[in-house]
Amino acid sequence: MSLDTPPVAPEAPTDRRARARRVGRGALFLVMVGVAVVMLYPFWVMIVDSLKSENQFLSGHGFSWASWRTLTSTIPIAQEVVSSTIICAVSILLILLVGLPAGFAFAKLKFRASGVIFLAIVSAMMVPLQAILMPEFVNITRLGLTGGYTGAVLVYAALGTPFSVFLFATYFRGVPDELIEAGIVDGLGYTGALWRLVVPIAIPAIATVTVLQFIQIWDDLLVGLLFIQNTSERPITVGLAVLAAGRTTSIPALMAGSLVSALPAMIVYLIFQRYLVKGLTMGIDR
Amino acid sequence: MTVSTVGARAPRLTLRRRRQLAGALFALPAVALVVGLIAVPIGQAIYYSFTQWNGLTSTWIGPSTWTQAFHNPNLWTALENNAWLLLAVPFALGLPLLIAMLLHQRVIGWKIFRSIYFLPTAISWVVLGLVAERFFAFQGTLNSLLHFFGLSHVNTNMLGYESTALSALGITFVFTMIGTNTMLFLTGLATLDTSLEEAARIDGAGRWRIFRHITLPHLSRFIQLAFVMTVIALFSALFSLIFVMTGGGPGYATTTMEFLIYQTGFAQGDFGTAALYGLILFVLTAIVGIVQLRLIGSDE
Repeated sequence: MSLDTPPVAPEAPTDRRARARRVGRGALFLVMVGVAVVMLYPFWVMIVDSLKSENQFLSGHGFSWASWRTLTSTIPIAQEVVSSTIICAVSILLILLVGLPAGFAFAKLKFRASGVIFLAIVSAMMVPLQAILMPEFVNITRLGLTGGYTGAVLVYAALGTPFSVFLFATYFRGVPDELIEAGIVDGLGYTGALWRLVVPIAIPAIATVTVLQFIQIWDDLLVGLLFIQNTSERPITVGLAVLAAGRTTSIPALMAGSLVSALPAMIVYLIFQRYLVKGLTMGIDR
Repeated sequence: MTVSTVGARAPRLTLRRRRQLAGALFALPAVALVVGLIAVPIGQAIYYSFTQWNGLTSTWIGPSTWTQAFHNPNLWTALENNAWLLLAVPFALGLPLLIAMLLHQRVIGWKIFRSIYFLPTAISWVVLGLVAERFFAFQGTLNSLLHFFGLSHVNTNMLGYESTALSALGITFVFTMIGTNTMLFLTGLATLDTSLEEAARIDGAGRWRIFRHITLPHLSRFIQLAFVMTVIALFSALFSLIFVMTGGGPGYATTTMEFLIYQTGFAQGDFGTAALYGLILFVLTAIVGIVQLRLIGSDE
């Protein structure tokens, strides 16, 4: 670089900056790949370990389908997936059936003390199940509801209701009053206005509640462990946890079962990602 | 529901009252569910915390149950474990903040990276606990990594020792929280006005100053929310991890309040003391909950 080439000189720094920028971008990309490796680690462990027989796992050499082939005899996986599905579906249905009218009421049909009652319900979001575990367990057992899915479904519904009421009420506040008035004038009545006018607009909020609750209930251990007494009605997460805690089931079989249990929630999650984000930031993001 | 209209003003009044009635009826099932399965049990827990109770019969003892409970070393061990685990909170917030900032740079493929980073969020903590156990095990990934980096004489078995098991649990907890918190922070960053940053950059502000004075204040509400959610998860969502990874051991090394409640109630059959411990946990989370309600409330 000689001094008698002035026209080139001003370009040099920008050139260098552009290169520095490109290097920076490249480094950033590598860091992101690194983080991705860490976040994918659980899946790698599940896949690799499930592709071994117990002996191959213990010796650390070789791969086979053995654990997958014997999976159904090691873990009653089909029945557990069915149980999980039923429990999720009924609980979510109950949460929606109870939460939608309540959210509508607190947002648009205010009654005496509705503000205080709403606040009380929202506060219930903060009560961890463990805090009321003992009375809850005894109540449900005394009512004879631990035999089937009923007890667990009721507990899941009660735990999921506060958040859904909060979310629906927040959502319905944005619905114009005129729309409901018009429905009432048209003779729909309040029930008709709810199901025919309000619920159809609330599909995004319903999706948010459904996705959040599905992942929550599908992945839960404590409720399923205590409120479903028959081992033949156990949901998959509980089945896996009990086998894992028992320390007699082979790791490859557990990993295969884990993969099966993780799949539905992952699929739901990948498809409905944006509804999940919406639900999480509800209340501060507007 | 037929309403007879008498005068010109009567229908208006009845309409208002009908609306209130409809509102109350619509809210009733939700109220019943929450009262019956959450509020009533809190009241019961208060009553039973003063009794000796095995689930079938209860005998009134009085306030001495509380003084007795506070003399139980296991309670203090559990509270201490919870306190130590709070050290994981800065990491459970800091790492996601960093990851969100990286994603926000929008390098090639950032959307794919985003999906990958969030993916573990969908998996049960039971499964993540199982995987973590494999990671920390004697023949697990951690030792392989240590050997790979030339530390072949080091053999860890973090879950096997009282001194290290809680740290292993804390590390696992940080990992499980990364997805959710990153998601929160990324949403926060997306609402940030980029022209502000641009203006600051033109004015010659360095990266750190832009982060410190523009990005961080903008994210404060999201950070508060993430903090509250993380602390509540720490107090009430570790059950799955503990159940699968350590069973509360070795000894009581990884027994937190929530796990102590489960153990006292279902392993020892001491329902009264377990109910009492539940109330202590309730007070701890209520303190955090009040903070959250303030956050939501300050919006309206």
